[in-house]
Amino acid sequence: MAERETVRITGTYALSALGRGADALLAGVLTGAPAFGPVRRFDTTGRRVTVAATAPDVGTLADELADAIDAAAGAAGLDRAGRAGSALFLATHGGPHSLPVPEGRDAPTVPALAGHLAARCGLGGRTRIYTTACVSASSAVADAAALIRRGDLERVVVAAGYLVEPDQYALFDAGRALAADGAVRPFSAGRKGLLLGDGVAAVVLESASAAARRGAETVATVAGWGRAGDAYHACQPHPEGLGLARAVEAALRRGGLPPEAVGYVNANATGTPFSDASEAAALTRVFGDGAGRLPVSSTKSVHGHALEASGLLELLVTVLALRHGKLPVTAGWLGPDPQCPLDVIRDAPRPARTGHALTLNAAFGGANTALLVSTS
Amino acid sequence: MTASTPSPPRSCTSGPGETGTTPAERAPTARSRNDAEARWPEDGDEGPAGVPGFVHSAFAPLVVAVAERCLARRYGTGPLPPGNGTAVVLVSAGGDTASAAHVRAAVDAGDRIGPLFFFQSVPNSVAGHVAARWGLDGPVVCLSPTGDPRAEGEAEADLLLHDGDAAQALLILIELASDGTPGEATAVLLGEGTRQ
Repeated sequence: MAERETVRITGTYALSALGRGADALLAGVLTGAPAFGPVRRFDTTGRRVTVAATAPDVGTLADELADAIDAAAGAAGLDRAGRAGSALFLATHGGPHSLPVPEGRDAPTVPALAGHLAARCGLGGRTRIYTTACVSASSAVADAAALIRRGDLERVVVAAGYLVEPDQYALFDAGRALAADGAVRPFSAGRKGLLLGDGVAAVVLESASAAARRGAETVATVAGWGRAGDAYHACQPHPEGLGLARAVEAALRRGGLPPEAVGYVNANATGTPFSDASEAAALTRVFGDGAGRLPVSSTKSVHGHALEASGLLELLVTVLALRHGKLPVTAGWLGPDPQCPLDVIRDAPRPARTGHALTLNAAFGGANTALLVSTS
Repeated sequence: MTASTPSPPRSCTSGPGETGTTPAERAPTARSRNDAEARWPEDGDEGPAGVPGFVHSAFAPLVVAVAERCLARRYGTGPLPPGNGTAVVLVSAGGDTASAAHVRAAVDAGDRIGPLFFFQSVPNSVAGHVAARWGLDGPVVCLSPTGDPRAEGEAEADLLLHDGDAAQALLILIELASDGTPGEATAVLLGEGTRQ
């Protein structure tokens, strides 16, 4: 079968420390004020770092995910039948404790969460769960887009969630991954590491023909996607960004766009010295001399690292920014790092000069993804 | 010395009696063929060897043992040359339950957590370990199955191959026993599907 279907985003929702809903997310990343503060959700006594970007008054992860799916489906104008025909691709941490557990019972495995969400939200299509660390959500989007373009599926709700909780927080603290100075400084001199942040998001992806039949408004198009591995190390990215560069090249190739058509990159950059330099190398490899003139920002400096959900939260940031015509800032900048010779947006948002943007993610295991979105 | 690159498109990915897709997805159009397969345990296995950098849990040793066994059957010794496009697809419903339980207990007790637990906190880490050892430079994808694990893993591999991001896929199915001790694992090297 010929690959023919264009992949539309027709509904979105996000929760982060910047607030609930797309408007709050966009306003927050354009303002560029970091949302980090002392963690009050659990005890951080004895931890090296004690801050994160947490949203107030959050429910359980299961409840927040269900609300996100409902909100995105509502924004897409999906009726009951439309939901029943939708698949659910879920990105979340692969361990236990994701679902509220009645007293005296064992924690269910993650698959139970997907079943619970599908039933509660009326999604009757197939379910798939991505536990592939910080590229979970972006891998889910890439796969959903590929299945829609191939004609296998008409509509997929991609949902992703991470709420800052004590176990992962303790692990990141033990691994000295958290920024001891309490700020995330992507691509900047003096960057110390990442900080965690809440992120729960959902998007409705569907074929252009299915969206047209419903008269659904298009928020943006997922024009291309790419996934590639570094084959380098269990936990560190390739220093030359080889895998990430191949993911970007694949996304551009699928989107049928040359590198110069891209007007913005929402970078993975976590504020970690080694990985930000690797990402800069990847961008230089793909964009050549143009990398230094390509507007780049990492909004993790504002909303924090939402781990398995980061790819979806940042996809929404990218789409919202393109639609609004303003590109978000990178907070925490101290000064240039020669290893990151990029045009990092800081101080104030910039006007978007094209309707095409990339959002990049990378994870342990040398996993890399690139999503290419278009609003024009 | 490096092993040879994956050969051109082979027959489809599903095992006998299984379909690599759900009814909602297109069914593969050709009969299945695996390029190599390995299990743990097999006859004579006593326990998987430890893996440097991974502690406490049998999860990573089991993944590495079955992956090494599978890849060695196809390629002898690695690594594969660059550009092989071999994806690693790791499928596990429970994940590393032994490490997760240890971390949970340590957090509850206020005990110190060793930094290695951070590095092994996601299944990507051991998948990346295997990828680095063998030079597998295709995508790394970890799934928690909601249905038949092998069918879901094969569907993911099929999609990556069809999409062009992978030329072949190493599918690893792994579950620890309920008490956290080594359970069972399977690794399958899947070639490119044939489509009409």
